[in-house]
Amino acid sequence: MMEGTGRSEPILKLEELRKSFGGLVAVNRLSFEVEEGEILGFIGPNGAGKTTVLSCIMGALRPDSGRIIFRGREITGWRTYRIVQEGIARAFQLSRYLRHKTVYENIELSTISNGLFERDDRRERERVVLEVAELVGLTEELWKLPPSLPHASLRRLELAKAIATDPLLLLLDEPFAGLSPKEVEQLSGVIRQLREEGKTIVLVDHNMRGVMRLVDRVVVISFGEKLAEGSPREVVADPRVQEAYLAGGGLDRDEPGQEGDNTGSMR
Amino acid sequence: MISSRARPRSPVHEALRWLGYGVVVALLVVAPYLLSGQPRWITVLTLANFFAVFAMSWDILSGYTGQLSFGHSFFIAAAGYTSALLNLYMGWPIWLTIPLGVVAAVATGLLVAIPALRLRGPYFALVTLVLPIVANKLVLIFSEFTGGELGKYGLAPLSSAPSFLAYQRAKYFYSLGLMVAVAAGLILIARSKVGKIFEAIRESEEAVEAAGINTAKYKILAFIISSFVAGLGGAFYVHYWENLIPSTVLSLTLSIELIVAAVVGGMGTITGPIVGAYFLVAGEEWIKGLARSSPSLAFLSKWDVMIFLVLLILLIFFARRGLLPSLRELAKGLLPLPWPRPRTPGPGRPEPGGTGTGGRG
Repeated sequence: MMEGTGRSEPILKLEELRKSFGGLVAVNRLSFEVEEGEILGFIGPNGAGKTTVLSCIMGALRPDSGRIIFRGREITGWRTYRIVQEGIARAFQLSRYLRHKTVYENIELSTISNGLFERDDRRERERVVLEVAELVGLTEELWKLPPSLPHASLRRLELAKAIATDPLLLLLDEPFAGLSPKEVEQLSGVIRQLREEGKTIVLVDHNMRGVMRLVDRVVVISFGEKLAEGSPREVVADPRVQEAYLAGGGLDRDEPGQEGDNTGSMR
Repeated sequence: MISSRARPRSPVHEALRWLGYGVVVALLVVAPYLLSGQPRWITVLTLANFFAVFAMSWDILSGYTGQLSFGHSFFIAAAGYTSALLNLYMGWPIWLTIPLGVVAAVATGLLVAIPALRLRGPYFALVTLVLPIVANKLVLIFSEFTGGELGKYGLAPLSSAPSFLAYQRAKYFYSLGLMVAVAAGLILIARSKVGKIFEAIRESEEAVEAAGINTAKYKILAFIISSFVAGLGGAFYVHYWENLIPSTVLSLTLSIELIVAAVVGGMGTITGPIVGAYFLVAGEEWIKGLARSSPSLAFLSKWDVMIFLVLLILLIFFARRGLLPSLRELAKGLLPLPWPRPRTPGPGRPEPGGTGTGGRG
């Protein structure tokens, strides 16, 4: 059951977003909306431009043209830290952690306030870190160093760091990459719980089947353009979508959460 | 691998740590009285204190945020020249000129900090290297005003004590007071959330931005703190010498030496640079003493720089984290005391082995 269906204003709106690198157009006049409280699947074959779109939303890249509107305010071109403060957080596809700090300290960084003269409440930060670690299942590994952790734990750490910023909207970039089916199920449970807490989630993946049961709606892109939009069932049945995936074979994979072909295109 | 849920620093160990600092400070306070038979060493310790201030100022910037400054003498000299020239030409007392010198140093700090935001890695390092050289040229160009290469003499002294010994001691205590105050201040900053942000910036600015923290603000803050401290040291320094000579405060050698002190002592720790500074200054004096003591060792006076450079290279290979952290590790290995759990490693350290006591907390 979708939450927040009473709201008319989407929490995130992309209007005619365009981004190119040199002569290569990575994102071409992309527009779509994210409804508050939904889990949206943002799907596309490798190299479709999904991560580029996320980077534009997060202020890591500046779009050539187009607008990004979050909760009614335009955030196009804002610095990343401001966007995070507004309430959007991203869990990267390739885990970016502080190598020489413990898991605890990695998550803790997200809880540190930006203000210089704000009261620094260590107890409160600790409470948040422990709570987030509990949610994602990292409690046993809080004092370890990330390079020693298995892949699944690193994915959890990535998620924890994003959650600890207390976001309203979470952008998860290929969260299931490299996870076993059991781990995928665990992570899906966490994502559902986040939605219960009122968060909106955008799930980026190249594998449709893996996220089908989790998402409310799907937006499919290919070569930087929107291909289809609708419920998972509708989108899977769409012939244009099927054609786009024929090369990568992502839609028809048997096992969810597997790494797709590395077509090695622009990213 | 450490798997216990114990917190990294318990209050007991914290208290012991500060107690340790207190013991060291107490020793330094009584030192001049113990050394009154060897006034040369009081001078050496005074110089070591100043050097420690310079090295610490470098560490809070370069050791903590990773913005490597290769021309830190620029900030030292900005304060030194401002205080000295105001004192000489305007006749203002040092309690006025020194703070103004610090203001000038912070101004130069901002001057470097803001373009530094746009420069990455080697380009930034190059700019920092070039600035004191440019400043040096300016000093020579305006040598009518600045005293040029030979400098200016007759600056107001730090103390006007009557006897030489009292005068020397007074200068020593000024330097010690400065060093301790700076150390305390910087340690508190380094331990606070500001320090955590600084260290995170060193590792990954992207991670810091993604955590909702304005990296530009904190990178600039690091410059402000660093140049403030360097300027404080620099302004006091010229009045310690009572002269203003570019080779004392504006040389490339000084810029490099304070980096060596910080790295040898242990960068990214604040206390490490103090050890490094003492080690270098006292060590150099010790070698000179050896050279004087016997004709067969006279050659050492020419080789002291070589010795330190070789030592630096050896340290990089065998004790990369620096003297202080390495000595701590050594002590832990030798003494079976309940040491605190290993803190997170600083820069340049390989992953720790399994030193935890095992079992779940």
